[in-house]
Amino acid sequence: MDATTAEPELLIEGHGLEKRYGGVVALTDVTIRLVAGEILGLVGPNGAGKTTLVDCISGIQTANAGTLTLRGVKLTGPASRRAKAGLARTFQYPQLALDLTVGENLLMGRAAKRHDTWWRMIWEAFRGCFLPGPRGDGEAVVAIANELQLRGLDRLAGDLALGEQRLVEVGRALGEDPLVLLLDEPFAGSDPSGIAGIIEVIRTIQRRGHGIILVDHNVDLVSSLVDRIMLLDKGRVVFDGDPQECLTSPEMQQVYFGGQVDLGGSGSK
Amino acid sequence: MSTSKTALLDGKSLSDGRFTAWPRGVQANGNALIGVVAAVLILVWVGTNGYKQTLLISAGAYALIALGMYVPFVLAGSLSLAYGAYASIGGYSVALISEKTALPLWFGWIIGPIIAGVAAVLLGTATRRLSGFYLVAVTLLFSEAFQTYLSNASYAGGAAGLTSFRPLDVFGWEPSFDVLIGATAVLVVVVALLLNRLRLSAWGVVVRGMREAPAAIEASGARVPMLSLVALAIGAGVGALGGALFTQMNGSIQPTTFTLNLVFLAIYMPLIGGTGTSWGAALGALIVVELTLNLPSLHTSGTLLVALGVLVIMLVAPRGVLGYLDLGRKEVTRLFRRTGSRQ
Repeated sequence: MDATTAEPELLIEGHGLEKRYGGVVALTDVTIRLVAGEILGLVGPNGAGKTTLVDCISGIQTANAGTLTLRGVKLTGPASRRAKAGLARTFQYPQLALDLTVGENLLMGRAAKRHDTWWRMIWEAFRGCFLPGPRGDGEAVVAIANELQLRGLDRLAGDLALGEQRLVEVGRALGEDPLVLLLDEPFAGSDPSGIAGIIEVIRTIQRRGHGIILVDHNVDLVSSLVDRIMLLDKGRVVFDGDPQECLTSPEMQQVYFGGQVDLGGSGSK
Repeated sequence: MSTSKTALLDGKSLSDGRFTAWPRGVQANGNALIGVVAAVLILVWVGTNGYKQTLLISAGAYALIALGMYVPFVLAGSLSLAYGAYASIGGYSVALISEKTALPLWFGWIIGPIIAGVAAVLLGTATRRLSGFYLVAVTLLFSEAFQTYLSNASYAGGAAGLTSFRPLDVFGWEPSFDVLIGATAVLVVVVALLLNRLRLSAWGVVVRGMREAPAAIEASGARVPMLSLVALAIGAGVGALGGALFTQMNGSIQPTTFTLNLVFLAIYMPLIGGTGTSWGAALGALIVVELTLNLPSLHTSGTLLVALGVLVIMLVAPRGVLGYLDLGRKEVTRLFRRTGSRQ
């Protein structure tokens, strides 16, 4: 293939995604595309469906309609199966085991994948009686911690500030060695230096060729970081394209400053 | 994906040495040494005294049941009260192998935990949509129903149970009772040791993570419902081992041998000993058995007093005995370091 015209690999492709809770429509007719090495920003006011979309992609929730593929392979079933296919995610409210150490939380992402069938679980338990784990676990955890500049692996996750907890979550997701990383509000609760640190981490992950979907309220911050932006409003994609164009687009004006949306409550904190 | 994995592993950051080692497993070794020393001391204290041997048998069986409960309850966070049934399965396996077959008795020791594990998986599958109070209630009912079933099962001796077993023989060797007493202590120490290693292993990390962050564990690739079942099965297997031990050493079993009372005591044992490590469950069993058999007041209204004791422990000393010993050790080490640096 000609290197100059080679397109980056298509990772995620979704069409007609729909999610309803009873009569409430959380997502409707959502189309999403993500290629390798791309950062896609998902923005929109509270309740626009950003987290629901991430949940439907990662399998925490199941979409009512639509198709979703990763590298051309259908993404179905529970979150664990999708994780095996190459998805990793963080959560809006960090889901860490607070009574475990930072190191153990980082290990989880790497080790969880090995617990996907009866036999592998039983084998892991059997081996666990004698050995801590396969060779390389410790080194991998240390490497991730160094990459994220996380110090003190034997601290309890519950003792960390929120910003650091988010960083540990990113580390856990990295431990899965994913194709696509879904980051749900990674900046919330971080101070400016923490935000700068997370941005640096995101850039590093991008350079490695992972695809990243980034959800955040802060449109300015997201648009400065991402390659493409998707604006969601009331479960619909109202804009999908260049971040700078998005900022000045009429859709943006409508969603954030338009008549139906209240000015005070929407947007960033 | 292999390329990014190597990028993660061979990064420069690893060689600049901010972290040289991750302190895992150190704790396990320290505890193991103390556990072995304690077991030897207890064996020396017991000697050939018949009463003390009975005490050790009960403590050993209780410890195994408590250790069995430790895996799903303390590690995975799901409380099952079917341990009376699991211990009975272990006990009746030994008894039935002895009375109904010509197979060696140790075969019952192996088959019992396996059957109990399978039973736990089936019960767990049937109740997979239940959690918290409802799971507790259903497992409790199962245990009671199983007891009623055993009282009416003619092949298992009905309410009178089974007595008069063949002696245990291991490939022709028939160990004496004193040897078996020693083996009891070894068995408990080995199981506690293995479970503590399991707690600190990758499996243990994922299972403990599942308790507080099940969504994250599921999203990282582990089948959370299945993993809960595996934890329940391992716990049931260890509990059945306790039942087998008790039955073998006492030479009899009845449907009422493993009561609900015992199951509740087994929940308290890790809390008394300390939930931080599996050794706490073993220590808790020793304390509970020693107290219930030696204090007359505890013998009569035992569970109530133990329950009150646990309540006090949870309110004022939630770390349990071992937790505070560990805290004390750390303080002493710190003290020594400080004096050391002054020189």
